[in-house]
Amino acid sequence: MAQSRREFLKRTAALSAASYIGMNLPYRKQNAALAADADSWHRGSCRLCGTGCRVELGVKNGKAVALRGVKDARTNFGYLCMKGMHFWKCMGHPDRLRTPLYRESKKDKFREISWEKALDIAAEKFADSVKKYGNDSVAYYGSGQALTEETYLFQKVFRGGLQTNNVEGNPRLCMASAVGGYLTSFGADEPIGGYADIEKAHCFFIIGSNTAEAHPVLFRRIMRRKLDNKDVKIINADPRISQTSRIADLHLQFDPGTDLALLNAMANVIIEEKLYDEKFLESYVTCKKGKKETVSFEEFKKFVADYTPEKAAAICRGNMTPDKIRQTARWFAGSKGTLSLWTMGINQRKRGVWANNLIHNLHILTGQLLTPGADSLSLTGQPNACGGVREGGGLCHILPGHRLVAKEKLRNQVEDAWGIPHGRIPPKPGYHTMALFSAVNEGKIKALWVNCTSPMQSLPNVDLYSKGMRREDVFMICSDIFPTLTTEAANLVLPAAFHFEKTGVYGCTERRSQLTLKAVNAPDGAMPEVWIVREWAKKLAEKMDDPVISKCVEPFEGLEPDFALPKAIWDEYSQKLTSGRDNDLRGATYTVLQKMPDGVQWPAPTEAYALTGGTVKKFVRGMDPLADTHAKDDKPYQFYGHAHDDGKLWLWLREQADPEEIPDKDYPFYLSTGRIVDHWHTMSMTGRIPELLRANPYAFVEVNPRDAAKLGIKPGDMVEVESRRGKNFLPAKVYEGPTEGMVFVYWHDQHPDRLINMVTKDGYDPGSKEPEFKICACRVKRISGPKPLKPYIV
Amino acid sequence: MPIGGFIVNAVPEDLEVAVAFLTAIPEVEIHGHDKGGNIVLVIDAPDSEHMQRVVKKINDCASVLTVGLTYLNVEDEADTIPAGADVTGIFHGGPASGSAG
Ligand code: SF4
Repeated sequence: MAQSRREFLKRTAALSAASYIGMNLPYRKQNAALAADADSWHRGSCRLCGTGCRVELGVKNGKAVALRGVKDARTNFGYLCMKGMHFWKCMGHPDRLRTPLYRESKKDKFREISWEKALDIAAEKFADSVKKYGNDSVAYYGSGQALTEETYLFQKVFRGGLQTNNVEGNPRLCMASAVGGYLTSFGADEPIGGYADIEKAHCFFIIGSNTAEAHPVLFRRIMRRKLDNKDVKIINADPRISQTSRIADLHLQFDPGTDLALLNAMANVIIEEKLYDEKFLESYVTCKKGKKETVSFEEFKKFVADYTPEKAAAICRGNMTPDKIRQTARWFAGSKGTLSLWTMGINQRKRGVWANNLIHNLHILTGQLLTPGADSLSLTGQPNACGGVREGGGLCHILPGHRLVAKEKLRNQVEDAWGIPHGRIPPKPGYHTMALFSAVNEGKIKALWVNCTSPMQSLPNVDLYSKGMRREDVFMICSDIFPTLTTEAANLVLPAAFHFEKTGVYGCTERRSQLTLKAVNAPDGAMPEVWIVREWAKKLAEKMDDPVISKCVEPFEGLEPDFALPKAIWDEYSQKLTSGRDNDLRGATYTVLQKMPDGVQWPAPTEAYALTGGTVKKFVRGMDPLADTHAKDDKPYQFYGHAHDDGKLWLWLREQADPEEIPDKDYPFYLSTGRIVDHWHTMSMTGRIPELLRANPYAFVEVNPRDAAKLGIKPGDMVEVESRRGKNFLPAKVYEGPTEGMVFVYWHDQHPDRLINMVTKDGYDPGSKEPEFKICACRVKRISGPKPLKPYIV
Repeated sequence: MPIGGFIVNAVPEDLEVAVAFLTAIPEVEIHGHDKGGNIVLVIDAPDSEHMQRVVKKINDCASVLTVGLTYLNVEDEADTIPAGADVTGIFHGGPASGSAG
């Protein structure tokens, strides 16, 4: 590259960075003669986490050549992380799947087939299964990374066409407990506030989240807030000291699974020291022992009185002291705006819903809700777990628009919107994820479609649940962009288009829907999923001789797949299925989404309103249009969520509850698992990007130095981590991260020796059905000194 | 040969230390800084992997809180996306994470 052009690009880079902080650089004007750094810039969302950062992809000669943050986006204000910077490399990557692959028997080798043939086979196998074994012998297992249009169309064809609610998705593994928590505490799913509270908060309570590594751009905002305001307090509560603890004023370290006691003890201190908001409680709150069992506030007080800071500190152990608990409660209650943030450390638990409830309890008690800087905000892991799966009907018990399958009236609304007969959607919810893969194991599911996810790696106790997917009598389709451990077990592999190679909407953590437009062509042979589903459904209708299946895709017939097709699907979903629902997206049309740098926060019933950005705070009159239309009285807050018919927030009496498995003499350590900054989930994308792979080529086990000394483990030694389910052999990192008595393993590695889900436990929350990835018992043993390792990516 | 624009957040009290640290890195050009600890810099590296290493190095500096990318040009690399990397080797148990941006 010519030197003058390099200088031009460097100045462009510096100007871009400086503009974010309002800094003037001496060379404002760029020399136009040097030509732009890209032919065109295409706005969209980052593919790699739930933060929803907005990016612009620079394209030159049909190829991605540059990436920049979108400065006006209220998600990231232009900032990106290193993982986000590299995702474009999946486009045009030599490993991309480019042709449908098929094999009759899983013992055979795959052979390349045409799309025509592939869709024929897919339709025939699903039709055969339904005819022979019934509607519930087929299932869809999707992803929080699929576009909303994709999830919506898949579930439409499965529910309305194939008449089964066996529609599930991997958000069950990460978000289901947050859904359960929001519904049972606030009466409606998804947070009341959002990221805008970060810049207004005075106290951050970060629990069960390594925000610095899992949501680095949000972490930057939190950190900036603290740097700019010295009075801001940050409390990090986690069994493990992580990058996030770097900026904490107080780090509470405790034994895994004991934090329900901590949260109850904080409630106790808040009551003892009269730090609660009596007026707020009187106006808006009901105390609950069970869904149908209402109790008085006096009873609630009595219940938490048992959780003295002394008792909780003894349960929690680690570095917990009664004084730290008191301090935390005082900061939480006394600040001018407290924002709680959490992710999988709270959700992936045997009592994940309860843990969510107990965080919400603290906000309800103190009235730290609905005002600037105050919110109880569950951070999403995947870019479209909220938008596509929670809102679009991607779980077995919910239909689009936060409707419950079990309610006839709501099923009928959906059937009417689709123009199909009443009764077509079955009344019984389908299998939740763990039940689904148990049913696959038992041979009850005969045809399974896995889209954009890899359950052969991501399920807990994965050896057990992989068995069914390997069965000869289970026909499995995988649609994906790269080979994965799951495509390896499939009969039919369908090559899909990647992000920016197709058009569609992602809905991130904060009720925000954002559009990504197609910017580059997919590799020849790879197709957008919406096209795949439509074409498959047409063949299915023929083979089943069922006009209702045709009806499901009729509105989309003949539309080109890059824009017109996803737009028509979004129009149907947003206009017909979210009307009158709390996630009202009628104003968030493609036209509006194309205009907005950062999309729209629902509810947004009209285009004019959506063009203001939508609703920053739900339930607040004057800020949320639905709070006005649903208002029952003059109060400023209106809790219109469909799950609470009393229109109140619910304060829950929830006991400390042990994890399903706790260490004993045979398995004396806690094992916890999580995500590393450079990798995304099962590494099928990030493991193919050399920069990211080299940064972290293998999973490793983190061991506390005191435990390492006891076990004779030195840094880099090979260590066996074994549970009642399986074992891993991993190199050790010895450092003051996990609390004593706990080891921590990253879960991205595909190598059978280092695939930690062979060790994790498949216990799950009885309410949310989310598995307890975060806690099980294991034993740890040194095997040898350091050994050379090879990365493994299928 | 990628070119990246970054905002580094330094602990405001340690701004001078951070600037000195960054000035000593050959791939880094500092284009400005302010009292709040914001430093505007450009990294010009032979390849993305090299850039990643530089970012990691900056992030490991005790005076630096975060490294935020705002712009990246990769036009030289766009044509040659490699299939994978041979990273067989020994894990020494040192800090392997922490390139949070
Ligand atoms: S924080 Fe998440 S969404 Fe933002 S750039 Fe990084 S990976 Fe992408």
